[in-house]
Amino acid sequence: MTETTHTEVTGINKPSIWQEFWSKEDWWAVWLGLGIVALAYVLYLTGSSISWIAVAPAKWSTLSQLSTQFSKNGIKYLALLAAFLGLFTIVISFIGQKPKAFIPSFIFIFVLSTVIYAIGSWDQANRYNLEPPLLALALGLFISNVIGLPRWLDAGFRVEFYIKLGIVLLGATLPFTLIIWAGPVAILQASIVSLVTFFVIFFTARKLGLDHRLAAVLGAGGAVCGVSASIAVAGAVRAKKEHPPIAISLVVFYAIILIFALPLVSRAIHLPTGVAGAWIGTSEFADAAGLAAAQSYGGLAGTHLGISGTAEQALASYTLIKVIGRDIWIGIWSLVLALISVTVWERTETNSKVQVGQIWWRFPKFVIGFLIASVVTTLIVHGNTLTDYNKLVKPSLILPITALRTWVFTFSFLSIGLTTRFRELAAAGIKPFAAFTFGVVVNVALGYFLSVIVFGHYWSSIVTH
Amino acid sequence: MKILDLIKPGNSEQICQKCIHFQNDPAVIEAVYPGLTIMSSGFASVRDQDGLCNYNQLYLSARDSCPHFIPRISGFNRGEIENSVRSES
Repeated sequence: MTETTHTEVTGINKPSIWQEFWSKEDWWAVWLGLGIVALAYVLYLTGSSISWIAVAPAKWSTLSQLSTQFSKNGIKYLALLAAFLGLFTIVISFIGQKPKAFIPSFIFIFVLSTVIYAIGSWDQANRYNLEPPLLALALGLFISNVIGLPRWLDAGFRVEFYIKLGIVLLGATLPFTLIIWAGPVAILQASIVSLVTFFVIFFTARKLGLDHRLAAVLGAGGAVCGVSASIAVAGAVRAKKEHPPIAISLVVFYAIILIFALPLVSRAIHLPTGVAGAWIGTSEFADAAGLAAAQSYGGLAGTHLGISGTAEQALASYTLIKVIGRDIWIGIWSLVLALISVTVWERTETNSKVQVGQIWWRFPKFVIGFLIASVVTTLIVHGNTLTDYNKLVKPSLILPITALRTWVFTFSFLSIGLTTRFRELAAAGIKPFAAFTFGVVVNVALGYFLSVIVFGHYWSSIVTH
Repeated sequence: MKILDLIKPGNSEQICQKCIHFQNDPAVIEAVYPGLTIMSSGFASVRDQDGLCNYNQLYLSARDSCPHFIPRISGFNRGEIENSVRSES
C-alpha cells in the first residue's frame, strides 16, 4: 500500500456531473419521452399528428379482420419498428452496450409484442383472461425458463429503460392538477406503508440474527421500490457483496406472485380501478411489476361486470402512489440509512463520511420527465372546450402518446419474463425469506386497508384526461 | 452537532472511484448480479456510481474510502499491481 506513491495516477474515471446525462437510462427516458411529446405537439400545431406511426391493433373478432388490419397497416408497423429501433440503438450505444446484440434482440421483442398486442385486442380476450401485460409476462417466463434463449439476446431486454420511458409518456396523459390534488394523499399513504413495512422486515431480520446491512437492504426492497431500492441502499450502507442478490431474489419472487395475485383478488371483490391501482401502487415492489398488474386490472374496466372506473384511473392512482409516494424518496432513505450505518452499525469498516448529495445522485431522474410531460400536456389541454378536447386534442395528441406508451410497457413486461430465470436467482436462505415474507404480508394487508377502507372514496374518484 | 460532522460536502482524493480494487462498470455489475436487470438496471440513477470493492468484498459508493486505497495507474493491470504490493509488503 505504501509503495504506490511513485506511480503515476492516470486513467481515473472522474465522476462528471455531465456524464450522467448520457450514461444513465433515467435521463435517456427523459430525453426520448419529452422528445416524443414535443414532436407530437409540433405536429398537432401544424394540423397533423403522430397517430400515423403510433399504430396499434384495433379490436377484432375474426382472424380475417386481423389479417386485413395488418395488411393495411403493415408499412406503419415497419415504420414504428424502425423508429423505436433507431432511437433505442442510439441510447444503447451511448450507455456503452453493443448495438450488434441489441438490434436482433429488439426486433424479437417487437415481433412478440405485436403478437401480444394483437391477442389483447381480440374481442374475446378478457373472457379468456388474456390481458396483454399478464400474457407478456407469462409468455416471457415460459420462453426463458422452459425453451431457453441465448444469453446475448438479453441485450434488448431492458426492463427498466422501457418502463421509465413509458412512465414519462404516462405523465403526458395525466393532468398535472391531478398530481397536485392527489400527490399529498399518495405521499401520506405510501409513507405510512413504507415505514411500517421497512421496520417490520428490518426488525424481524435482526431478531433472526441477520446483519444490520442485509436487514436494511431487504427492508428497503420491500418498502420503497423493490430491486432498485435494495441496490441503492446496499451502496449507501456498504453492504456485503452477497447481500444484494438475496434481496433481488426475494423481491423478484414476490413481485411476480403479486403481479398475478393483486389483480385477481381485486377482481374477486370488484374493486374500482382507481382503488385497485392505489393498492397495487402501495403493495407491489418494482415499477414494472406494478404497472403490469395495474394495466392488467385497468383493462377489465367496462368489460367485467361490477368493475367500475377506467383503465386510466388504475394507471393514474398506481403511478401517483408508486412514483410520487415511494420512488422519489429513495435518496432520503439512502442518506438516513448511510448515516446510521457509519455511526452505529459499521463504524470501523471504512473511514468515509456520508455525502448529503446522494439525495440527488440517487434520485430517479425519469420522474422529472414524468412531471414535465404532465405540465406540458396540461397547459396544452387547458383552454380547450370539452368538445374541442374530444374532437381534436385527444385523437391527435393524447391517444397516439397512449398507444406508444402501451408499446413500451409491453416491451417491459415481456422483458421481465424473458430475464427472469428462476434457476439463476440466488438462494435467499430461510431467515431472509421469513423476514421478507412477514413484511410482504403486513404490506399487502396495510396497503389494502389504506387504499380501500381509508382512502377508497378518494382513489375511486380521481379524474384523468 | 456531531451528526453534521459525519456529512461530507465534497470529494477527497483517495476515494474508491480512483482505487484499483473498485469496479463499477454497469455492465460488470449486471453480470455479477444477474437478477438485477429483471426489475432494475445497472444503468439506473438510483445506483449512482456504486460498485464492488474486491478487497473488502463490499458493494459501496464510489465516493467511499478506506485505508486499503491503491490508486489506478497506467500500463498495469490490477493483478500485477496487487502482486507487486503483496511482495513488497
